[in-house]
Amino acid sequence: MTAAALVRAESLGRVFDVSSPWLTRALEGLPRQFVVAVADMSFEIAQKETLALVGESGSGKSTVAKMVVGLVPPTTGEVFIDAMPMHGRQRGAERRRLRRRIQMVFQDPYASLNPRWRALDIVAEPIRAFGLAARRAEIAGRVGELLRLVGLDPADGSKYPHQFSGGQRQRIAIARALASQPEFVVCDEPTSALDVSVQAQILNLMRDLQDRFGLTYLFISHNLAVVRHMAHRIGVMYLGRLVEIAAADALFRAPRHPYTRMLLDAVPDLDMSGRQRKPVEGEIPNPIDPPKGCSFHPRCPFANARCKSERPALVAWGAAGPVACHAVEEGRI
Amino acid sequence: MMEPVLSVRNLRVEFPTRRARLVAIDDVSFDILPGEVLGMVGESGAGKSVTGTAIVGLIEPPGRIAGGEIFLSGMRIDNLQPAAMRRIRGKRIGMVFQDPLTSLDPLYRIGEQLTETIATHGDLRGARLRERAIALLSEVGIPAPEQRFDNYPHQFSGGMRQRVVLALALAADPELVIADEPTTALDVSVQAQIIALMKRLAQRHRAAILLITHDMGVIAEAADRVAVMYAGRIVEIGPVRDVVSAPLHPYTRGLMGSIPKLDGGLDRLVQIPGSMPRLTAIPSGCPFHPRCPRVFAPCPIHRPELRPQATAKVACWLYHPAPTTEKETAAKLEGSP
Repeated sequence: MTAAALVRAESLGRVFDVSSPWLTRALEGLPRQFVVAVADMSFEIAQKETLALVGESGSGKSTVAKMVVGLVPPTTGEVFIDAMPMHGRQRGAERRRLRRRIQMVFQDPYASLNPRWRALDIVAEPIRAFGLAARRAEIAGRVGELLRLVGLDPADGSKYPHQFSGGQRQRIAIARALASQPEFVVCDEPTSALDVSVQAQILNLMRDLQDRFGLTYLFISHNLAVVRHMAHRIGVMYLGRLVEIAAADALFRAPRHPYTRMLLDAVPDLDMSGRQRKPVEGEIPNPIDPPKGCSFHPRCPFANARCKSERPALVAWGAAGPVACHAVEEGRI
Repeated sequence: MMEPVLSVRNLRVEFPTRRARLVAIDDVSFDILPGEVLGMVGESGAGKSVTGTAIVGLIEPPGRIAGGEIFLSGMRIDNLQPAAMRRIRGKRIGMVFQDPLTSLDPLYRIGEQLTETIATHGDLRGARLRERAIALLSEVGIPAPEQRFDNYPHQFSGGMRQRVVLALALAADPELVIADEPTTALDVSVQAQIIALMKRLAQRHRAAILLITHDMGVIAEAADRVAVMYAGRIVEIGPVRDVVSAPLHPYTRGLMGSIPKLDGGLDRLVQIPGSMPRLTAIPSGCPFHPRCPRVFAPCPIHRPELRPQATAKVACWLYHPAPTTEKETAAKLEGSP
C-alpha cells in the first residue's frame, strides 16, 4: 500500500488560539487558551481508494480536510501528495502543478458557489486558472462536457446558482472540482445539506465518477450509513485524534474501539429488527479542556484507572486495523 | 374509540403571490390520539413545517389557511382570534423547533424563561414556581438543575439546550406537542438521547406528539404512525412498522430505498429521478407521476385520494380502480369549453 499511496499525512496537528483579546486577558487575568483541533493524525490513502473520516461535531474532521487540501497550514506534521510536501516551500510552478491535482467539494452548495457568477463561469474557473485550455470555444466545449458528466443540461450553464436546487448546485460544485482533472478530491460532508433522495443521486454520481476517472477520495462525514456506501477504509475521530482506522467491512462487522461501537449503536434502526438503539451517555467534551488520558474515558463503559491517566497510542493489535484503546490492548474487550 | 387530541380535516394552506396562488398544503387530513406519536416525513418543500405552523396558527401573512378545519380535543382552533389562539399556544400546544439556540432568548437565564412560561399559563407563584421549573429541568435530564437554573443558554451544549426547550414545551402540561425537526441539529449520539426522552415524556404526560422530520430513521424509532408528505399532500399514512418495512406508495418506496443502510455495503443506492416539484408547477393528477417508475394512464389526469389499503392509507392508482377510462376522459376534455 505504501508504494501506491497517493496521499500521506504524517503526524498532522493543528492548534487554534482561542484566547480572549489581549486587553480582556490583561484586565481579568485570564490565561491564553488553545484548542487542539487535530493532533497526531497519520494516515495514507492509496490510488483510487476512498478513505472516510467520521466523527461528531467538534472532532476535527473538517480541519483535517482543510489541511489536506492546503487551505489551513498544519501546526505540526505534513501532508504529502505523491511524495511532494503540501505545505513545504516549493517554487510557484511546482505548487500550482500540485494544486491542480487536488480539488475539494464543500458541504453547503448554497455558500460554496459565487451567487453572481453563471454556472458555466463557475465551472470554467479552474480551467482558466490552471491554463488548461486557451481558446474560448475549447473552454465552452469542456464546460458543456463537464455539466453533462454530472447530469446537468449544458444549456443550464447560463443560469445563476439561485436558479438551481440544492442537489443541482452540488452537481455544479462537483463539475467545478472535476474541471482541473484532479486525481484526488476531498469531500467535506458533500451531502449533509441535501434531502435523502437527492443524497442518493449525488452519492451514486460520485461513485460513478470515481470508477470512470480513477479518483481518490477523502470523504468527511458524520453519517456512518453514508460512509458505508462510499468508503473502502474508515477512520474514526474523537476530539481531534484517530481512535480507530480499519477496512470498512471490518469496522462495521467488528468495531473495536468503544467509541466506534457507541457510534454504530446510535445509528437509527430502519429495519425495525428490534435492535435497541442505545442512547449514549454524555456528550463530546469541551476541546479547550479535554479529559486527561484517553479523551473518551468519561463516556466509556470500559474505562479504568490507566485510561484516566495515560493516553493510548494508535497501534495495531492483532490482524485488524490500528486502535487507540487500553481496553483493546489489554484484551478486556 | 378515544377522541383524538388533534384532528385536521381537509386542510388547505395558500400563499398568494403576484403571479399565482401557491398551494403549500392541499387537502391534508389526519388525527393524533392521546399518547400517540405521529411522524410526518417528507423532503424539503413537501409542506411538513407549514402543516405544523398552520396548526399553531403562526402562518406568516399573506399566507393563510384557505380551507379545512383543525380541532384540538374537539374544539375548533383554526378560526380563533389571535388573542384566544395565544392562550392555547404554549398552554395546550407545546412547540419544539429545530434550532434550540433560536427558540431560547440568549439574554435571559433559562430559569427566568421557564418560570415566565409556567407563570403565564398557570397560577403558580414565588418559590413554588421555581420548584416546578427545577422539577421540569430534572425531568428532562439536566444534571444539577438547581445550579443550571441560573445559567444562560450559551452555557449549555446543543443537546442540553434542546432538553431545556423540551422542558419549556412541557411547562404547561400541553395536550399536544409539535416537534419540528427536534434532533436535526444534534449529533447522532445526542439524537438518540433526545428521542428516548421525548417518547418517555409523551407517555408520562399522555400528550400527543406531531413529530416533523426529514429523517426516516428518527421516525422509525420514535413514531407510532407515520404520514409521508409529497408536494403538500399526504401520499401514505399508516403504522410505522408497516410503512417502513412494506411501503406502498412508489414515492415512499423510493424514499426508503435511497436511505443508506449500515449493512448495505458498497452498492449503488436506489435513486428517484428528478426532484420535488416547485409550488409554482405542481404536476396535474398525482403530483408524483413525472418521477414515478410505475406511472400509467390515470396518473397524469386524476388525482388519487387517500384510501385504505391493508393497515395503511395510500393515495395511488396502483391500489384503487381509476375513476374513468381514457375514452371517457377524452370525451370530457372535448366537452369542456
